[in-house]
Amino acid sequence: MSHLGDRLSALVDGELDGAELDRAHAHLAGCEPCRAEAAELRALKQKLRGLMDGAPAEAAMTRRLIAMTGPGGPMPPRRRLLRVMPGRRPAAGPASSRPGPGPALKPPKALKPWPSARRRRYLVLGTVSLVVGLGTAAFTAGGGGDAAPGPRITPPVEMYSVEHAITTGEVPFPGPTAGPSSDAPP
Amino acid sequence: MVAALVVAVPGLLVTACSSQSGSSAAGGRDAVTAAGRATAGRAALASRRPEAVRAVRLLSQAAQAAIVTSYQGQEVVTRWSEGGGSVLVSSIWHVSGGPTVTQTMDAGASVSSQPYLSSDTDGQSPEGVLGVTAPLVQLLESHYVVSYAGTGSADNRTAQVVEAWRDDGSIAARFWLDDATKLPLERVVFDQASHVIGQDVFIDVSFANPGASPQQAAPASARVSAGEQGPWTDPLSRHELLALRTRGWHVPSGLPGGLSLFTGARTQAGTGTVLDLGYSDGLSVVSVFEQHGKLPATLPGWRKIKVNGRVVFVADPDQRSLTWSGRGMVYTVVADAPAETVDAVVGALPHDGPSGFWKRMSRGIDRLASWANPFH
Repeated sequence: MSHLGDRLSALVDGELDGAELDRAHAHLAGCEPCRAEAAELRALKQKLRGLMDGAPAEAAMTRRLIAMTGPGGPMPPRRRLLRVMPGRRPAAGPASSRPGPGPALKPPKALKPWPSARRRRYLVLGTVSLVVGLGTAAFTAGGGGDAAPGPRITPPVEMYSVEHAITTGEVPFPGPTAGPSSDAPP
Repeated sequence: MVAALVVAVPGLLVTACSSQSGSSAAGGRDAVTAAGRATAGRAALASRRPEAVRAVRLLSQAAQAAIVTSYQGQEVVTRWSEGGGSVLVSSIWHVSGGPTVTQTMDAGASVSSQPYLSSDTDGQSPEGVLGVTAPLVQLLESHYVVSYAGTGSADNRTAQVVEAWRDDGSIAARFWLDDATKLPLERVVFDQASHVIGQDVFIDVSFANPGASPQQAAPASARVSAGEQGPWTDPLSRHELLALRTRGWHVPSGLPGGLSLFTGARTQAGTGTVLDLGYSDGLSVVSVFEQHGKLPATLPGWRKIKVNGRVVFVADPDQRSLTWSGRGMVYTVVADAPAETVDAVVGALPHDGPSGFWKRMSRGIDRLASWANPFH
């Protein structure tokens, strides 16, 4: 018995129609292995679709990045290092990058150098924006003084003086006399 | 009545105390300077080394005598600095093996401070008299050349004289120890130019009945209940103190001026734990008190000064206590040390500098990095 082979994936993808579709269905009705394989393919396809649906943000980002290359027109072709092939040269025309017959040492005029001036401009703008943004964030985050200020402490100097006296084997000095602080430095 | 006096004498050299001591070597600054320079030099040091063992033994006996001897008297502490001098007179009562009672009164303010009862109820704390304690004698021996200088007299008593010399040949200190009991009777401290910067004299000394407690010996005005003071833990070892670094404390193993960490203690205040770190070279002693927090904008009884370009508060009237904030910690330094040593110590400890643009940016980048760090 001849199984569906490549037509099975075409069936799962909905690419069969007419008599081919009828023959495939008839085969599936009597062939357990092909039915199982078709079921596996459908499940796999469903999982892949689920993965793609779960990353809309990435897709949107990709679209935006593509859009940043400039309004209208396809992306310019990449400049390639062309291998010199005797008797061949690139075909003329801006859209073609295929090497044509005959020697061709120069790239076609239509091929712009990469990155383009516009890309460089976007690159510079992006870098400046990043630096300014990070700087602003760092300056904002650095406000408020040092962390963990803790409680406000008035040193109990008389107690300290007594402890110091024990350390030194001397008599403790009296503590500071109460009064407003003065003689502040400029 | 217990007499006590604190006098700040700007620009005046207080020399009256030296005449009370009866010692000829502790006269005016100029005489001491000339004597110190005349005897300076390595050759002089070498000739004194044979007497070092005897000198160290005498000092050790003096430290022990301050604990085991019962005595009472008046201690006159005089300090000189470029800004002037100060004199402090206190009464002291001590009974063998027991605590010490001292009372000092700030006569200038007509306010009597509370009598001080030492926490040395078991005789194990490094107490002494005139700065002679067992730990300080050990440090003195390791930082200075100690030598025996013969006999003299102090407070009309025969005394053994011991000197401490620096490696550069200048005299650092001279001690008069009572010949009979070895109790220190006088100490004079010199700076590197051999100027007198401190003089401690024990006068009107009498040796009391060893059976009486110091509170019985002391007048009623000085009697306080045991345990009223002394909230500090027992002295912590150097190893225990250095281990506190892992708990966020700033514990240098040494400070400028050759000061080594040799003791410390902790206490619990209402605003948190206070750590006391003791640094000394045997003569100068600097206590660094640390507590997590920051200072208020103003401190009554303190005034702002600049030390090495840093703004700190200094306590009146003795001006030997300084405090400031640094990196979330309040540092308070109480120092018995030359001014240049105190300045260097203040400069060596953390301070909060002015918050400029780049410092703020640096702090912000650090914070952003810590926020982005998943392991932080």
